[in-house]
Amino acid sequence: MPSSEKKIATIRYAEYSAAFKYLVEQGLDCQFIVQPRMTQRTEKIGEKYSPDMVCTPFKTLLGTLIEALEAGADTIIMPNGICRLSYYGELLRKILMDEGYECTFINLNAYAMSGKPKDWLNGLKSVNPKAKMSHLLSAGVETIKMVEYLDEITFEYYKGCGFEPTGAWQKAYKHFIAAMYRADSKAAIEKAYNEAKQTFDSVPLIKPPHPLKVGIIGEFYTAVDPFSNREVEEKLANMGVEVHRWMNMTHRLIHYPGEKNLNVEIKEYCTYEMGPTSTANIWAAKHYAEQGFHGLVHIKSANCTPEIDIVPILQQLSAHYKIPLLVLTCDTQTSDVGLMTRLEAFYDMMEAKGRQLK
Amino acid sequence: MDQNDKKNPPVVGLPRGLLYHRYGTLWQTFFRALGYEVKLSAPTNRAVMEEGARLAPDETCLSAKIFLGHVSSLVGNCDYIFVPRVANLGRYLDLCVRFSALYDMTCCVFKQTDQKFLTCNVDLENGLTEEDAYIALGQSLGFSHKEAKKAYKAAAKAQAQVWDLAVKEQEKLYKSDGLKILVAGHSYILEDPYAGGMIIKGLRNLDTIPLRADITDRDSAVKKSPDLCPTCRWVMSRELIGSIIQHRYKVDGIVLVTAFPCGPDSMVNDMLARSIKGVPVLQLVLDTQTGTAGVETRLESFVDIIRMKKGGAQDAVV
Repeated sequence: MPSSEKKIATIRYAEYSAAFKYLVEQGLDCQFIVQPRMTQRTEKIGEKYSPDMVCTPFKTLLGTLIEALEAGADTIIMPNGICRLSYYGELLRKILMDEGYECTFINLNAYAMSGKPKDWLNGLKSVNPKAKMSHLLSAGVETIKMVEYLDEITFEYYKGCGFEPTGAWQKAYKHFIAAMYRADSKAAIEKAYNEAKQTFDSVPLIKPPHPLKVGIIGEFYTAVDPFSNREVEEKLANMGVEVHRWMNMTHRLIHYPGEKNLNVEIKEYCTYEMGPTSTANIWAAKHYAEQGFHGLVHIKSANCTPEIDIVPILQQLSAHYKIPLLVLTCDTQTSDVGLMTRLEAFYDMMEAKGRQLK
Repeated sequence: MDQNDKKNPPVVGLPRGLLYHRYGTLWQTFFRALGYEVKLSAPTNRAVMEEGARLAPDETCLSAKIFLGHVSSLVGNCDYIFVPRVANLGRYLDLCVRFSALYDMTCCVFKQTDQKFLTCNVDLENGLTEEDAYIALGQSLGFSHKEAKKAYKAAAKAQAQVWDLAVKEQEKLYKSDGLKILVAGHSYILEDPYAGGMIIKGLRNLDTIPLRADITDRDSAVKKSPDLCPTCRWVMSRELIGSIIQHRYKVDGIVLVTAFPCGPDSMVNDMLARSIKGVPVLQLVLDTQTGTAGVETRLESFVDIIRMKKGGAQDAVV
């Protein structure tokens, strides 16, 4: 039995909800409410109460929080972050209160302002004062491991799933994700990871000798969250493309090589850090171009300031390396069909260019 | 370059946009003290804005478009164009991320021309103060540490004098008689004749006294801002929030002005509109398509409502 009666929820972000759930249940000893998967309704309801000009993830996240409250949550933990995300918490709380929703809202950004990790941990622990700090820390370590596994398996999956016609990969991936949501121990996490790995290793891929390879770059939320980008990765993979995406929690947060170490490798394109994910994206784009990828897809949400500002740099890089670049701006109005048409045209372009080179 | 060449000093172009409206005096004094000639771009007009809109990445804000228009008007007409990179003025005193990207973005947009750019990097969170930045800039131009420091000190002093005077003038206005409207927006919007300038002018035409929230004692405003927005991290927004907190009961109405699509304002203005109680608030968004007529109409009806409320009370007494 959990030592607190609170029902905790947080935002929805790709499949990281499994990791949030693990941390709250194992580390804070509380019940965690996973809201239903995002749908158009999530965006509609978030959009209704959000300011017009704010970046799209704000609208989506507000929708996911409302759906979490509808699903029975009474306490919301809002993660902190950089750029506008640092102000999300305060405004989300205000909007929820103004619209009459009732909940305890824990804005981790308020605890992150001092810059001391201890303050932040205390903020997290304030959710359930009865929870033991030692539990929280050990669960934290296991949660980080889970995030790494989620990112690794997701990367492997989109890299190969376009060349696997039997559906065994898809089945294994879905099974893995479901197991992550169910996991209640380190052993369960390891077991699910090993099973997925085993399937990926044993089921053969039917791959042409030189498949088209696409590098996905973009904003931290929209490029990573399949619903927000209308499953660009899945769509590209289904066309028979090898899809690579460097940007994820593991690379940007847990094992970030450091602003300076990445910046030094892209000095010909920019002098300074241009935004929270700008250096990483320009670096990844250059890295893909040098490895002979056939195309770059830049995914960002509407009104994302830092990603807008690097578009000219990416265009310059694209001209320099002669690598096609597709800039996708996703907002609540982005339609599946329109996106598909653009991706198909992009595919044709990459293929035609590939044939020319041969 | 011979720095002692007094007859033909190198020309530094200063684009009249964005941070020029905060640091203009500092920049001019600094470069003149080093013996450079300073060339300002002409005030914004429709052509400048349209040129900027053509050059800028599609979704950038109106102010950045105007800025690039100014840069474009200077390209080829001066030896250098000065575009500093200002990331933050301390912890939780950030500028919008666009100011971090501005130098690199501008250089990239004008890559095809052989225009040279000058920059300096202010990033207090990483230990680079304004003084360090300008001294490093002076040294990179071939001046000694001492010369550069002297030029910076003179420039910082001149900027502070101009600012103190402006704040004093503004504070006097709060004591004057008449209908007072507090206009809250970034300096680079309100001072631009083609953007916020028409709001100030429009309010004057309506026989009201427009007051500028951005011209205020910045330190005390920043200290005050957590009362309304405790986790706000943008220094310019915090100055405006603090100024509104300190002045809201001395005015008859507040106009929140922003340029489409301003990142910090998109959230902060919504927060302000939800939090400010007891004073009428009008939100205005300016973009490249805004005509003066639409803005005038909205200001007129806003002022009418305030007058009606005030007048109504008087009628009741009579």
